[in-house]
Amino acid sequence: MLQHLRCARMCGALDGMQQNDALTFPDAPRGELDRVLSELVSVAGDVLATQGRLRALLRASQAITQQLELPLVLRKIVEVAVELVGAEYGALGVVDAHGGLEQFIHVGMTKEDAEKIGRLPEGHGLLGALIDDPRPIRLLDISTDPRSSGFPPEHPAMDTFLGVPVRVRNEVYGNLYLSNRKVGEFTADDEELMTALAATAGIAIDNARLFAETKRRQAWSAASAEITAAFVSDEDNDAAVLIASAVLTLAEAALVRIALPSQDPTRLIISVARGIGEDVEEGRSFPVIGSLVETVLESRQPRLIGEPEATAIAGGNTHQVGPTMAVPMLAHGDVLGVMIVSRLPGGFPFTATDMEMAADFAGRATVAMALSDGRADRQRMVLLEDRGRIARDLHDHVIQQLFGTGLELQSVLGTIVPGPAAERIDRAISEIDKAIAQIRVAIFTLSSGKSSKEDTLRHRVIDVVNEASRSLSESPRLEFSGPVDIAVSGTLADDVVAVVREALTNVVKHASASTVSVSVAVADGAVVVTTVDDGVGLTMSGRRSGLANLDSRADARGGSFDIGTIDGKTNAVWSAPYGTAGA
Amino acid sequence: MIRVFLVDDHEIVRRGVADLIEAQPDMEIVGEAATAAEARGRIAAVLPDVALLDVHLPDGSGIDVCRDLMNATPSVHCLILTAYDDDQALYAAIIAGASGYVLKDIRGNGLIESIRLVAGGASLIDPALRRKAVVGLGTHKHADPRLAQLSSREREVLALIADGLSNREIGLSMSLAEKTIKNYVSSLLSKLDLQRRTQAVAIQLDVDSDSRRLAER
Repeated sequence: MLQHLRCARMCGALDGMQQNDALTFPDAPRGELDRVLSELVSVAGDVLATQGRLRALLRASQAITQQLELPLVLRKIVEVAVELVGAEYGALGVVDAHGGLEQFIHVGMTKEDAEKIGRLPEGHGLLGALIDDPRPIRLLDISTDPRSSGFPPEHPAMDTFLGVPVRVRNEVYGNLYLSNRKVGEFTADDEELMTALAATAGIAIDNARLFAETKRRQAWSAASAEITAAFVSDEDNDAAVLIASAVLTLAEAALVRIALPSQDPTRLIISVARGIGEDVEEGRSFPVIGSLVETVLESRQPRLIGEPEATAIAGGNTHQVGPTMAVPMLAHGDVLGVMIVSRLPGGFPFTATDMEMAADFAGRATVAMALSDGRADRQRMVLLEDRGRIARDLHDHVIQQLFGTGLELQSVLGTIVPGPAAERIDRAISEIDKAIAQIRVAIFTLSSGKSSKEDTLRHRVIDVVNEASRSLSESPRLEFSGPVDIAVSGTLADDVVAVVREALTNVVKHASASTVSVSVAVADGAVVVTTVDDGVGLTMSGRRSGLANLDSRADARGGSFDIGTIDGKTNAVWSAPYGTAGA
Repeated sequence: MIRVFLVDDHEIVRRGVADLIEAQPDMEIVGEAATAAEARGRIAAVLPDVALLDVHLPDGSGIDVCRDLMNATPSVHCLILTAYDDDQALYAAIIAGASGYVLKDIRGNGLIESIRLVAGGASLIDPALRRKAVVGLGTHKHADPRLAQLSSREREVLALIADGLSNREIGLSMSLAEKTIKNYVSSLLSKLDLQRRTQAVAIQLDVDSDSRRLAER
């Protein structure tokens, strides 16, 4: 088009030469030649100028495409645009999903000027016109254009204006605005230059976005590998905490919550929160039904949630949150929970790519988590199997050996004359018997897991004794005799547990004993709880006080309670009939 | 003379117990066995007054042997001799249809006394405890969790066992073949077996971890 214009002017000049043929002066041809020459020179100048500007455009394009970081690319675009057409001010407005401006990068204005205005344009007036109808706008004076909505009070005066849209893959990414051409007004050439620059800018932006996305993907995938490594390591990592912390950084989020099923099937519990208000959020539960999380659980698909909806995502938030994404945590086809990732109110919305990456990450992390859970379960299984094996060994070998040996000692005892040796053998037999009783308790403890909620009396007594052993220098010796679990149940079992606890508490508080033994025995229709300690006896005040309860518990059951000290040993004996009623 | 037959896979136990029994003027050991198979054959051959049976045998269970004896040789009185604790021993004795149980304690187990009583036809199992052990299993809040695993049929069988019925008698009363009853008893045994308990706990663990998932959602 430029060439065409030039041609028209040159052709016109030649036509004029032919028409003026008749008027001949000696110098006439020369004057004509001068004129033509000077016209040629001016055209050549124009061509040179144009070539210069084309070269400038090339340079500008190069400068833009050299950058890879998106913020730098955007700034460079504005800088070269201003330079290219000799404008005083320039800006690039990035359009958001709702037709407003998401970013506004400007040059030419000092920091002070910008601060005086206070806010960035939102995309109304002339800037909005270009958003609504993305075609170049070129004006002599902004203020006379009907589309202009005027300037804020502190805004510097602006007259000439040129605006061109910047497209990325056929979608309007934003607009390039220039104003106050230093010399004259913006020309059609300027408009063409800017249009050309905008095309290059579009490619540069696209590249920068791809680059950024690749970098983000790399970061997510590196984190994913790291997390998997952490899960499969032997250290005891809390999977959910690792996931939440990683996502907080990767997604540039302000709050990450992991909601898992709770005891109550209708509610989810936030098992881990990282970010703002994590302390308050953690452990909070909320109803599943009707929540946005429910749709994620049901569809097993991640979801982007806008700021207005996000406030209600987890049954109300303790902190206001902005753009949010909710991602299901899937492993082996089961939904283990939901990860809720939020930015601050007014923050950049998450993109579909963000969501895709978060979902991918959550998927891998969840599988790793499930694997590590499985490993922990297997380890517990191994432990249980080990315990079972030890219990079997104790039962099948140790007890048998002790029993056989004891019987042999007993028969030896029958063949020797009474005396010190016989007494020693006798004591040894008693010790072996005690050892067998202890091993029985150990077998019972080893071979029964903690999983049963309906604990038998023996379990409960073992628990109480273990508890008390923390306050004693030596663990109490515990023995059961008779079918304790079968004979004692219901409220009588509750009483027996309470009696053991009260008796031990009394010893711990008042007796300062070094050894304590507890026995629960069932025989001849009664259950008998005996505690023996070597602490200070009853003569010392204080010990009586805790014992009234034991008395009344025995009375209420038609039983008895006796306590006495002989040879430095204090025996407390509580008994009650177990009857046949089964209560 | 009270004729006693001894079944235990540990030689040291058999020797100790035999010493003890032989020292009694009114008792003698008429045979010993280390396995269930040996026990079945030899007991049938010598027909002792009392069979002293360990629960754990390399090729089976003393409980099974005892129930077989109940049918085949009702004149033989069985006494379970076990390293189990009392609760388990009582269940074992009840299921076996034995006249009683004796723990492998050296003192205070009253082995000799028990043999005399059993030989005289007495049952050492307190009827009240027998009922408690069997009736209302699983209904008690603190009932042994192992028993909650039993099916209703198995519980029915267990209740009849508690009444001291043999497999044949239970079969008649439930209109089932004796072999079927035998299967129920085997199943009962394995469910109450110490060795199985760790597996039961492991299953419970699986259930716990499953409930963490929202599989239904």
